[in-house]
Amino acid sequence: MALAHEFDYVRPQSLTEALQLKDKYKDKARWLSGGTDLIVNIKEGMMKPDLLIDIKDIDELWQIGFNSGKLSLGAAVSFSELIDSEDVRQHFGMLTDACRTVASTGVRARATLVGNICSAVPSLDSAPPLFCYEAIVHCASVDGKRDIPIDQWFLAPRKTALADNELVTGITLTAIPNSAGVYVKLGRYGGEDLAQAGWGVMVDHNKQYRIAHCALAATPKRAYQIEQLLAGKELSDALIEQAIALIPQETSPITDIRSSKEYRLHVSGVMLKRGLQAAYDRLQGKTVEAHKLLGGIA
Amino acid sequence: MKDYKYIGKDVIRIDALEKISGAAIYGDDIDFGANLLYAELVQSTQAHAIIKSINTSEAQKVKGVYKVFTGKDFPYKFGLYMKDRYIFAQDKVRFVGEQIAAVIAYSPGAAKRGAELVKVEYEALPAVLNQMDALADNATLLHPDLADYPHVPWFFPKPGTNVAHWRKTRKGNLEQGFAQADYILEDTYTVPRYAHCAIETHVAIGKFDHSGRLTVWSSSQSPHTQRHLFAEALGLSHKDVRVIAPHVGGGFGGKAGVTMEIIPAALATKLKGYAVKLRYSREQEFINTYQRLGVVARIKMGVTKDGSITALDHKIYWDAGAYVEYGANVVNAVGLSAIGPYRIDNVSIDSVCVYTNLPPGGAYRGFGYSEMLFGLESHVTRIANELKLDQVEFRRRNAIKEGDLTAYGAKMNPNGLVECIDRVQAAIAWGKKPVSTDPNKLIGQGFSLFWKAPAMPPNASSSAFLKFNEDATINLIISGMDIGQGYQTVMAQIAAEILSIPPSKIRVETPDTDRNPYEWQTVASHITWSSGNAVKKAAIDAREQIFALITRVYHYPIDELYLEDEAVKCNTDSAFILPLKDFVVDGIMTSDGTFKGGPINARGMFMPEFSSTNGDPETSQGGHPNVHYTVGAAALNLEIDKETGKMRVLKAALAIDAGKALNPDLVRGQITGGLLQGLATVLYEDMRYDANGKLLNPNFTDYKIPTAMDVPDEIIPIIVEVPQPDGPFGARGIGEHTMLPAAPMIANAVEDATGIRIKSMPVTAEKVAMAILAKKG
Repeated sequence: MALAHEFDYVRPQSLTEALQLKDKYKDKARWLSGGTDLIVNIKEGMMKPDLLIDIKDIDELWQIGFNSGKLSLGAAVSFSELIDSEDVRQHFGMLTDACRTVASTGVRARATLVGNICSAVPSLDSAPPLFCYEAIVHCASVDGKRDIPIDQWFLAPRKTALADNELVTGITLTAIPNSAGVYVKLGRYGGEDLAQAGWGVMVDHNKQYRIAHCALAATPKRAYQIEQLLAGKELSDALIEQAIALIPQETSPITDIRSSKEYRLHVSGVMLKRGLQAAYDRLQGKTVEAHKLLGGIA
Repeated sequence: MKDYKYIGKDVIRIDALEKISGAAIYGDDIDFGANLLYAELVQSTQAHAIIKSINTSEAQKVKGVYKVFTGKDFPYKFGLYMKDRYIFAQDKVRFVGEQIAAVIAYSPGAAKRGAELVKVEYEALPAVLNQMDALADNATLLHPDLADYPHVPWFFPKPGTNVAHWRKTRKGNLEQGFAQADYILEDTYTVPRYAHCAIETHVAIGKFDHSGRLTVWSSSQSPHTQRHLFAEALGLSHKDVRVIAPHVGGGFGGKAGVTMEIIPAALATKLKGYAVKLRYSREQEFINTYQRLGVVARIKMGVTKDGSITALDHKIYWDAGAYVEYGANVVNAVGLSAIGPYRIDNVSIDSVCVYTNLPPGGAYRGFGYSEMLFGLESHVTRIANELKLDQVEFRRRNAIKEGDLTAYGAKMNPNGLVECIDRVQAAIAWGKKPVSTDPNKLIGQGFSLFWKAPAMPPNASSSAFLKFNEDATINLIISGMDIGQGYQTVMAQIAAEILSIPPSKIRVETPDTDRNPYEWQTVASHITWSSGNAVKKAAIDAREQIFALITRVYHYPIDELYLEDEAVKCNTDSAFILPLKDFVVDGIMTSDGTFKGGPINARGMFMPEFSSTNGDPETSQGGHPNVHYTVGAAALNLEIDKETGKMRVLKAALAIDAGKALNPDLVRGQITGGLLQGLATVLYEDMRYDANGKLLNPNFTDYKIPTAMDVPDEIIPIIVEVPQPDGPFGARGIGEHTMLPAAPMIANAVEDATGIRIKSMPVTAEKVAMAILAKKG
């Protein structure tokens, strides 16, 4: 692969050293972990950094821990590690669903969840579970640390709340007791694909719902109006139809090469309906294969 | 049937270990040392424009850049069947992505940096981006000098228009045929362009030494054809041009003929002593190699109430792209064969090759037949359904049989089409489709026939050298390419069968045109048949040399000798057993101490001497342009989610008449792979262009090719064997054919399940779901 752009590469051994470098270079430097987005962007001339700061030698960024209902992930944790984590599967099932749909096996072994949210494309599969588990994004810079709730993270396509001297060091997710969730993704075939629509649907024993979507607006979003409509209610065909009727207000899909606006809207209704049913099924202990919910080859 | 030892057996591929262990060397793996230069292309950003100026001064200043070349350095035309292409654009560009200049540098990165700095000034011309617009009276002409372009005698360009070739086939009396019909159906079907997507992108390395000889290493299906075109375009003698073809990482027609390989070949002639490499990125692979042609097909078919086809009027308009030197032959091939595998007395076919300002069309697995069959097999299903006849019975009734006349008047070869239909019908349990327990799911059945002939010049030939080594192992020296189909293994099996040597003791290497004998190209699914015949002849030549020597030394009559277990034996003297290794190089010592014989070196050649393209230009009646057709049938059960439109093939059965399956396991592999490739073209693949002729999805992000996840749940491969009289052990080609029925089968199954007929490819989940919604109102 020929890269027309030339850049320097460093691999700092400590967080302090990394943050000092980033503070010096600001937006002229890019963080490198898996590189699955970054290198492609450089190859295609979309990014021209002077410096790549590889974070993979910073031990604390590799941590993955589950404690008191909270899951902490370091910035270097790959999708494969998340998929393989028993804690994630048990307490954050929707996240496991979503991670399994990101790219392909080879890419998932390198790509990170943190890198994914920093790329901040509208079709971000990991966003709906992060919204539903009310993730906190931990950032650090030479000026100190700050936490950004996920619903304040995405500003626009490919634009986040991260300052140009900051590093995302990790994310914390909070499990919902007695709940079950599912991530439903619309793709074009059985192989890896960018979501044409993605819906995360969660329900708990008190019939409280959390619902979020991706690829249906400029940024991934939580569907608060639908959550409020459903709150405390038993699912019925009529209720689901009312929820589906709110989709046009909760989303603003576009027509692009992957899908038409009309199909995105239409299938979103199907996804919400089947997602709600699947979440209930999981809550009752039934096995749900999320990738088969929309039919076809998957 | 004769009992063979190696033919018809599931011999393990002789190249398997080399390939799965990573030992196999591909073009980009070859080490050229310090004198290797890298080329990067400057490509047109305009679909149709005059090149006003090219400024290379900034590029020349880039560190690591050695030289920059433009069209002025190479004012040559080239082309396989019509010389309408340039090595670099001359005064005009005719598609987005066309090569204008090359930057030569000491590293790929420097070449790319340089290429980004070459400034091209354009004066835009109106672009014609589809074939129907290009046919309009006032359409902009892509090639005003069309009248001057040299071409093969079987092309009929229309200078002053954008029609590069018009194949007309006329048989019987069309009007009378329609008058006899009780029912006539007329409709239009459209098929977009497709990309081959071989996993190895195109790569070629040219080297011109100080003595003036050109060597090109290229990932190719056609080393000899490349040598010929390089020699012709660059004004070199064939003996001074050498093409070395290492292993190929997939071809599918995309590495047939010459596309980008001419660029490093030409550049090398100006860079004496260096090797210069051009390796395509995936994006370049999409935009500037051959693409499968787009199609608009208008079909009018007449039938009687009892289901006999009385007339067919098939008009096919091809979006062939900016240069049609190869693509026009796709148009020609289908123009001779657009009746499908049916016996039809009254036929009119117009297959029209149209220039457009999109990338050049060319060979793609199926060579136009997939595109043609999408319409025809959709149409046949609709007609049968309209008449309330079973569509399979309708097909059986009209199926072409041995001795029936093809559209151009030659007799159909022996074939097992009806057996294919019968066996597929049984395997899929036609008419007894499963019912889903899921209320969201519908299940439909689809059926399709297929046929295809190799499209070759009448004198396309193959040849083989075979040499014995001291231990009676063999080097079989041939020039076809193993592009995944198992060619090397099957050729070894043929020699093995004749010479009683196990295939594991036969080495077949990839070709070098200096040392390997002539082969036309590895295309057209003709290589098993044609090269197989040459190899068989070479093996027989070796056997005859062996027997002649034994007769000379031991005086056994030749007709009493035979080969078995790597030894010569005699019918009349069971005590005589002479191992081949005892004499095939060193000869046989006689009683006086002298030796007779010597190294056994054999040769074989095959050319289909009965073939001719001398048909009447107005009717195509006369010649014998196609050597034979391979036929088959296929069916599937398709599950459709009626809300999302998403589809899943539950079961597919495909029967093909291989004549003789030389290696049944490889035939089954082709059935699986071909079917999957075909299903991808109908379910999700699709090249999309914007209003300026720019490809929107030159990547696997938005051009989806099938993965292991996309294989149907069950595939039933069925091999039918009605021997091809002139084929090696009765074999004929099956490689391309296995993808042909996929698209119409899906469209037919969608209609069976939903009542909705989709007449444009691809038949995506979105299209199906939105059609179901629209139907509900």
